[in-house]
Parts: sequence; C-alpha cells; structure tokens
Amino acid sequence: MNTNLKISNVTKIYPGCVANDNVSLEFNSGKIYALLGENGAGKSTLVKILSGVIIPDEGKIYLNENNLNLNSPSDAKKNDIGMVFQHFNLFETLSVFENLIIDSDEQRESLREKIDLIMKKYNFPIDLDIPVLNLSAGQKQKVEIIRCLIRNPKVLIMDEPTSVLTEQETSELFLSLKKFSEEGILIIYITHKLKEVMKLCDEVAVMRRGKLVSVSEIKNENIESLANKMVGQNLKTIKKKKAKTSSDQLIKITNLNFTSDDPFETNLMDINFSVNRGECLGIAGISGNGQSELFQVLSGEIISEKKSIEFNNNYIGDLNPQERREYLMAFSPEDRLEQAAIPQMKIFENVALNNFKSSNFFNNGLINENKIKEHSKKIISDFNVNTDNIELKSQFLSGGNLQKLIIGRELITSPDLLICFNPTWGLDVGAINYIHETLIKINDQNKSIILISTDTDELLKLSDKISVIHKGKLSKIMNAEEVTSEKLGILMGGAN
Amino acid sequence: MIKIVKRDQPSKAIFFFTPVLAIFLTLVAGGLIFFILGFKPFEALKFFFIIPIADKYGFSELLLKATPLCLIAIGLSFCFKSNNWNIGAEGQLTFGAIVSGGVALLFYEQEGFYILPIVILAGAIGGMLYASIPAILKTYFNTNEILVSLMLVYVSKLILDYLVVGPWSNPEGFNFPETRQFSDSAKLPLLFEGLRIHAGIFLALAAVVISWFVFYKTYLGFQMKVSGFSLKTAKYAGYKGKKMIILVFLISGACAGLAGVGEITGPIGQLHREISPDYGFTAIIVAFLGRLHPVGIIFASLVVAITYLGAETAQIFMQIPKYTGQVFQGMILFFLLASDYLLFFKIKFIGSKK
Repeated sequence: MNTNLKISNVTKIYPGCVANDNVSLEFNSGKIYALLGENGAGKSTLVKILSGVIIPDEGKIYLNENNLNLNSPSDAKKNDIGMVFQHFNLFETLSVFENLIIDSDEQRESLREKIDLIMKKYNFPIDLDIPVLNLSAGQKQKVEIIRCLIRNPKVLIMDEPTSVLTEQETSELFLSLKKFSEEGILIIYITHKLKEVMKLCDEVAVMRRGKLVSVSEIKNENIESLANKMVGQNLKTIKKKKAKTSSDQLIKITNLNFTSDDPFETNLMDINFSVNRGECLGIAGISGNGQSELFQVLSGEIISEKKSIEFNNNYIGDLNPQERREYLMAFSPEDRLEQAAIPQMKIFENVALNNFKSSNFFNNGLINENKIKEHSKKIISDFNVNTDNIELKSQFLSGGNLQKLIIGRELITSPDLLICFNPTWGLDVGAINYIHETLIKINDQNKSIILISTDTDELLKLSDKISVIHKGKLSKIMNAEEVTSEKLGILMGGAN
Repeated sequence: MIKIVKRDQPSKAIFFFTPVLAIFLTLVAGGLIFFILGFKPFEALKFFFIIPIADKYGFSELLLKATPLCLIAIGLSFCFKSNNWNIGAEGQLTFGAIVSGGVALLFYEQEGFYILPIVILAGAIGGMLYASIPAILKTYFNTNEILVSLMLVYVSKLILDYLVVGPWSNPEGFNFPETRQFSDSAKLPLLFEGLRIHAGIFLALAAVVISWFVFYKTYLGFQMKVSGFSLKTAKYAGYKGKKMIILVFLISGACAGLAGVGEITGPIGQLHREISPDYGFTAIIVAFLGRLHPVGIIFASLVVAITYLGAETAQIFMQIPKYTGQVFQGMILFFLLASDYLLFFKIKFIGSKK
C-alpha cells in the first residue's frame, strides 16, 4: 500500500525566530527522504510537528489525504507515525523488554513473539532481558527502532540518528533503513551530514532559516551543491598548513587515572601522551567514552596526582583551573550555556570568569569593572563577536558569537596551550570556519592545542596528531596524515 | 482567548512587581478567609494591617519585629545567592542567644561599657559556630545542608530548654523556666523613652549596607553570583567552592546569632523558652520576598513584620487565634512562588479568531 504524507503551509513562530516559515512538502513511500539543514534551520521543529510534540501555529498535515490533528505524541503514534529522536528516550535501568512494552497495551507474550520476529527479520540481535544501561549506542538505537516497528508504522522519522554511532554501526543502520523502505515504510531522515544524504537517500529537501529552499533528487546533486544550498553561500575550504615539526615538549601526561563514584561517568585508565609546542593533538571518540572526564582532568576541575601532568616543566596535576591558568593554560568546555558562560550574566561579567592575577579584574577583593569592560571590548573587536554592547546579557548572543566570545576570552591572554572540547558543536558553518581559522592561527604562533571532538572531519582538518578515546582508554597516537575517517571509525568502535 | 507565552527575558520591572502582586493576592485571599469566618473582610484586614501600626507605639513594635527578620534574611541571602540552602537560621539564632545569654549571665550584677560588646560578639560567634556544622558536613561529608541545618534547629531549642529549666534557671525564680534578668550593661539601649525599639536596628541597617557592598562590589559577591547560577561554571572558573560554602554559612550564622542577641538583650532581657516566634523560618520568606536584594529585604521585613502584629491585634479584638499570622506568612510565600511564573511567562489576551 502506498503512503503519502503531505505537509501543507506549516508555520511555527517562536519569540524572535520563525522556526518554520510556510513549509510545504510531500513524501511518498518507497523512497528515503533527507531533510537537510544546519542547526537551527528548522528541521527539528518540522519533525517535532510531525510527531505531535509541537503544535504548529498554522498549516495542516495530511496522511493519505486525511487531515491529521497531531496534538500530542500519542496522536502521532495512533496515526502510524514513528519517530526515533536524536537523544534516546529509554529507561537505562529497565530491561530492553520492559522499555519496549512500556507504552504498549498488547499482551506480554504476544508482544514478545512479535519482537522476536522483528529482530529475526531485520537481524537485530539484542538480548531482551538485560538492562538498557549495558547496551552500546547502536543497540539502544535499535531498541528505539523496534519500539516504532511494533506499531507497524507507515512513516518512520529518524532525527540525526548517526551522531552517536560508529562508522560500522552507521552502515548497519543504513542497510536496515533501506530494507524498511523496500517494505513500504516512508522514511524521513534528518541530518546535517552531507555524505550520509548522498549515500542513503533518494530525494533531499534543504531547509535554511526556517524556509524550505529546495527539493531535488539526489542524482542531480553533489556534496558541494548541497552544502551551498544549506549555507546559502559559497564556502571557502580551509586547509591547514603542514605543521612545523617541533620537538619542544609543552605538556606531558603520565599514567593518569581517574575513578569516578558516579556510575554514569567513565573512568579514565592509564592515560599517557605529550604535546609539543605548535602542535594540535586531536582526541576522537564517540561521545560518552571519557571525553568529558578527560577534559575536566586536564582543566583541573578534577584534581589528579601532582606528577601526572607536567606542563612547561612544572608538575601541575593538583592545581585547580584558576591556578593552571596562571601557568598559561586555557580551557574551552563543551557546554557553552551551562559551563563556559552564564547566559543570565552580562557579556563583561562572563569575561571576568577567566581571571588572571595580572589582568587586575579584582583588586584587593573588589571588582574593577572598568578594567573588565576595557578587556571585554578588546575581545569583542579582536574576535569578531557581533555586538558592540558589552552590557548585553550573553543569552542574546547566537551560539557562534557566544563561542567566539569564549574562545576570545581564553585566547586573549595568549596562553601556551588551549584545551577545547567540541568547540564548534551546534554552530553554523560561518562560525565553524571562523573558529577553525582561529585554531589554525594559534598553532602557527607556536602555541599548542588539545582538541577533544566528536566531529571526525574537524579533527582530520585541524590535528597534527590524533588519538582515539574508547571506554576511558586512549589509543596510540597517530600522525594525522596517516589516518582516515574509516580507520578512526574502527578505533572509535573499540577495535585495535 | 487567553494565551500563555514564554518570555524572552524576565524584565527588571516584573522582577520587582511580582512580590507586590503576591502581597496583593495575599490580602485578597486573607479577606476571603475572614469573610468565610464571618467577619467583614475590610474591617478585619484593617484590624490586621492598619490598626497595629496606627500609633507611635505600634510603629516601634513594627520596627522591633522587622529588625531580626531583616538581619536574618540578609544573612540568608548570602547563602541562597550562592546555592546553599541554609534552612536552620532559627537554630543559629537560638544558639547565638544561648552563647550570648551565657556570657551576659556571667556578668550578672556587674556594670561596664565593655559588657555589651562582648555579649554581642558572643552571639555572633555562637551563630557562626552553629552554622559551621552544616557547612562542614556539606563540604567534607557531602551531607545535605537542608536536612542538617533544619534538624539542628530542634537540637538548639532542646539545649535552650535544658539550660533554662536546669543549670541556668533563676535561683530566685520559683522554678519558672527562665534565667535571671541580665544587668543593664548587658542590654541594648532603648532608642526612645517608653518604646521598645532598641539599638539592634542599627545592626540590621549595618548588615544591609555591608551586604549590598559585598554583593555588588566585591570578588566574593561575584563568585557567589556565579555559583548561584551554575556550580559547574564556578568549578570551571576555579573558585574555591568549599571555602565559599563555609564562608557564606558563617556570615549567615553570624547574622542569625546577632538577631538572637537583639531579642534577648533587647525586649526580653533574659533567656527563656520562647525567645523567637520562628523569626529564623519567617526570614526565609522575607529573603525571597525581598528578592535577595538588601533594599528589597528591608521592605519585605516590614511587610512580614505586620503579620506578627496583626495577628496579635486580631487575637485581641476579633478573638481569632494569633496563628492567623502564620497563615498570612504562608500565603505570601505561596503567592510569591505562584506569581514568579510571570517571570518566565506572560499572559496574552488575544481577540477571538477571525
């Protein structure tokens, strides 16, 4: 049976932003559709409308000519629309089977048979009776997919499904999706990764700033054409110059361990590496493999043994972040809104978070506001932060501008080493380019970088050396020229 | 049709308007309660809120009640601003009163200008000591400061009970559970002949000025602000979290202890069982009603102080229990929390659709 899903003139307005501006689209089963766009382009809003999470201000949704009233996620389920979100909605401590039956009113036994059948058919080997906690990200995603398949959906929406998967898991996912499509399930695939679109999809709809900019067949497109549509401008590609080979060691980590009391954190085991001046060490990995813990150990938020970190011939393992900054280290954490900056505070107040003795922000315990403001103005102009009002609360800066402010705050003191964690996460291409250029520039000035990132392309572009973190252990350190994204993928999955 | 819309940013005006709205709603609800009880609402509210402060004596009583509330609330705002939930100011007040009362009893029948400063200092130290317990347990043993500080309230009240019926009870007191009267040198001077308002009010005013300066002009205030918004950011910035926790608890304890001193060396003049009508708990309401802002706290302490006086007047003239005062305090907090919804959402009235 053919399925036809039609989105007709959908508009959703948030204060200060039109998330969906009169979007109309039509999908037919038998094909895999890509919904492509940058972060903030409006694709998530659109799929949330399709899955009943958000109610549009205007517009209608038709499934096989029937007008759907999607007022809640259960309405979407009733109308055979299944959705797998980017962040898993699973109960970690319940078993796989319990997670699957939680929103079903079918009999346990018959449901179990049905699930077994689905798993056999699509080759999803998962133990139903172990807690979800013990599953890999790829397996958790399969559980989410099975949860949709139980209901025999006509439409299956996948929101950025590969952000937590290894290359191998991604290929498996693509095979399954193709199989679903052949069986008549209409698949809508949301992503901002162009390679995946080219590999998987038949048709592609591109969104930009809430508007639908194009609908076309994949065979008429290539990566460059799609990228330009997505961004709306021609992208210049940045290339890193080959690094000057320096043997002047800046930081050395020796036998560093961290054991956490929190079962949801990853323990770090026997970390050893060193970074020379002017070098960028990239640390790849799937999120949740100890990156956050590694960042905290390097920044001093987690204190370790004094001798485990040697920086510029000083042992600093037992120092806190502020003390480490005095040795000319700088840190840019992953979470811009909850850690690196405080959205409710003004720009210049956020600048004062990076406080050096020599910056004189605070004299004898008193705030030296003029000094902080002067410094803030310099950051704003030196790092292209798009505002001239340092009294503005930083929540009104876009993600890109906020990140420029943070990187600027960390770099304006010309540190010898910058440690950054997913510095371009969630940013638009313009801001990503700017950050990448800045990072390359500081390497050129013979300063070093430790770049912890889940974005393999970014790592390959910026790093001189690359290592992969998996379950709290680092792989051996490789020269970036010898590494391919496939090889990284294998290491990220835990193989040797 | 009414639509609720999320605000982009809570405006400054709304921030200070919601406490006023909360007070207004409290009056409306209070009037309704009086009506149900069979009183004329406006008359009852007049008994409650206007009659008590209509004369010089009443106004002095208002300031007398507002002084400890303001002092404690200022101290608490150091804790609350930095994400430390000290609920035990009542205990710190009691313990401060015990220590300063003990010192005052040591100087029984002695005169000297030096006595009062020592007694005041002893109260502050007592409050600090008592507040340091939840602070140290929190920093070194990860205990929950809400539970610890709250439970210590009852411990201190029992200690006070034991002292006033046992070792410290007045030998000539016919076994009443109270100590001797303190000597005049151990008492805060009265400001006006015939009124009970005493010099303790200057302690409160000093606390207001000092706290304003610390909050908005010092590095400590900045660190407190950052920690209040995000402990993760405070850690990332490298602030010494443990030191700050202990410091804000000590400040808060000192303020509560001073409030205790003010009570026993002011209107009471001795230690007995009931030295505080739960000022330490009510001050939590005052701190939030005043938006943790020193000037806001002054106004809030005056408003809440009226509920104490009003309850007494209502008891005398309308024969309703004085606990009505607590009902009003509860309603203020309730409506404040409810109207804080307006900080983040606005109500839009839109015409019916075409």
